Amino acid sequence: MTAAANAIKINMNEYINAAKEALSMSFIQRALISGIMLGIFSGIISVFIVLRRISFLGSGISHAAFGGVAIGFVTGINPIFTALAYSILTAIGIEQISAKGKVSEDTAIGIFFASSMALGIVLIGLSTSYNVDLHGYLFGSILAITHSDMTATIAMSLILTTVIILITKELHFITFNEELAYSSGIRVRLIKFIFITSMAIAIVTGIKLVGVILVSALLVIPGATANLITNSLFKMIIASSFITLFSIISGISISYLFNLAPGGTIVLIMSACFAAAYFLRKRY
Amino acid sequence: MNAVEIKNLTTVLNGIEVIKNINLTLEQGKFLGIVGPNGCGKTTLLRTIIGSATPLSGSVTVFGMTPKEAVKAHIFGYLPQNQNIINNFPARSMDVVLMGLYGQLGLFRWPTKKHKQKAYEMLDILGMSGLGNATFSKLSGGQKQRISIARALINNPKLLILDEPSTGIDMVGQTDFYQLLKELQNQIGLSIIMVSHDIGAITTFVDEIACINKTLYYHGNPFGALDRQVLEKLYGRKVSLVTHSDCCSQCDKNKHE
Repeated sequence: MTAAANAIKINMNEYINAAKEALSMSFIQRALISGIMLGIFSGIISVFIVLRRISFLGSGISHAAFGGVAIGFVTGINPIFTALAYSILTAIGIEQISAKGKVSEDTAIGIFFASSMALGIVLIGLSTSYNVDLHGYLFGSILAITHSDMTATIAMSLILTTVIILITKELHFITFNEELAYSSGIRVRLIKFIFITSMAIAIVTGIKLVGVILVSALLVIPGATANLITNSLFKMIIASSFITLFSIISGISISYLFNLAPGGTIVLIMSACFAAAYFLRKRY
Repeated sequence: MNAVEIKNLTTVLNGIEVIKNINLTLEQGKFLGIVGPNGCGKTTLLRTIIGSATPLSGSVTVFGMTPKEAVKAHIFGYLPQNQNIINNFPARSMDVVLMGLYGQLGLFRWPTKKHKQKAYEMLDILGMSGLGNATFSKLSGGQKQRISIARALINNPKLLILDEPSTGIDMVGQTDFYQLLKELQNQIGLSIIMVSHDIGAITTFVDEIACINKTLYYHGNPFGALDRQVLEKLYGRKVSLVTHSDCCSQCDKNKHE
């Protein structure tokens, strides 16, 4: 018994030392700072994505971003910029087409999603500059974040968090009922445009961290989890941001210590938080 | 000045002519009930009045303004047929009432103590003062309707538009609700347009009735809408009608017997 306790103690000490060593490394510091900044913003925007029931839109835009990344590879422009422009245009396109009422929103998302992925596959096939970066865009490379990536993430997060906080009351009302908000004099189209654009920017920034395939999880799971355990908008925003931060920090740490894929680890921790909240809520 | 003037209005949605050539006027301070069968264009007419549906031809003016100008001038208090709120929507009753002020406050301005005080006053008027901190989505249908009326009234609208407001409310609750609307009309001179399925119930409370089935079949005294010929034209078949009023003729007859 004593030998087993000693073994656990030694293992714990090893992990603590490894964590201290990791925190002193600049690439881990950059990953944590970028993750925390993106986590704060995605935690807030996730609340409105879940309440507006547009989780599939987040998923659609993130997969559509692959088409934008591919355009960057082919043209030689930084894929983040092409993905950003492509994602914003896709988001607006989906909103416009579904607003006309001839095609439902989920159908419009499905069409843009598949077409953009197809465009990406065709363009990547044509590209002569195929390299390992593509793997990074698909599955994320949070530990390979550069100083300029980190600066861009901090700036994006600060600006977008401020914007979303400034329009929180309008977003809350539009989410409650769009037609009511319109009849009260809220500029519904403007607010929705700001929101969708912010969402597209968050997705493209998140691609670097967890990749095209998993970035939508950052925008859906924290808000859905927070909605299970809170009853006011303010508490929901705080809970969602906390869940995102916890998942990102613990995901980066665990993936480093156990040599796991960071993007997948972050999303699995988020999913575990959701499962815990779901079962706890059911019980109490 | 007329609260609403509708001239030769035709509205098409997804290629289908939902309302056709409607002419209708509502004087300021009057209470108009709109009745008609399912899918006859009642909701589309209301949505055209507030400007969220665009007419194909004809015109709508609200206190002399176009619907979009009227929205900007915060003329409307609106209660849609289905608010379609998700189960866990994070908003207290108080937050929902305050939403009615967000358009007037504009961007980057938040409700102050004065606004919150006004919201409490509205809840009090509607008999909901104890439910300010209750989660809106957990309330009963009748409580939600009263809170929603408080939200619709908090910005002092000139025109209250209600789409089937008594859905999900029991008979006693419905009568109380109609009486409350009548009181609000008398106290603050509010103009009201209310869509309802229950022609028998609303005749006692409204000043005028408009019977619509794609086009306008009748507009005038509420009891005129109970005419068998009007109802047969409106619904396309014979209709048996049960009316409600403060004085029940059958009960009085039984008493005397």
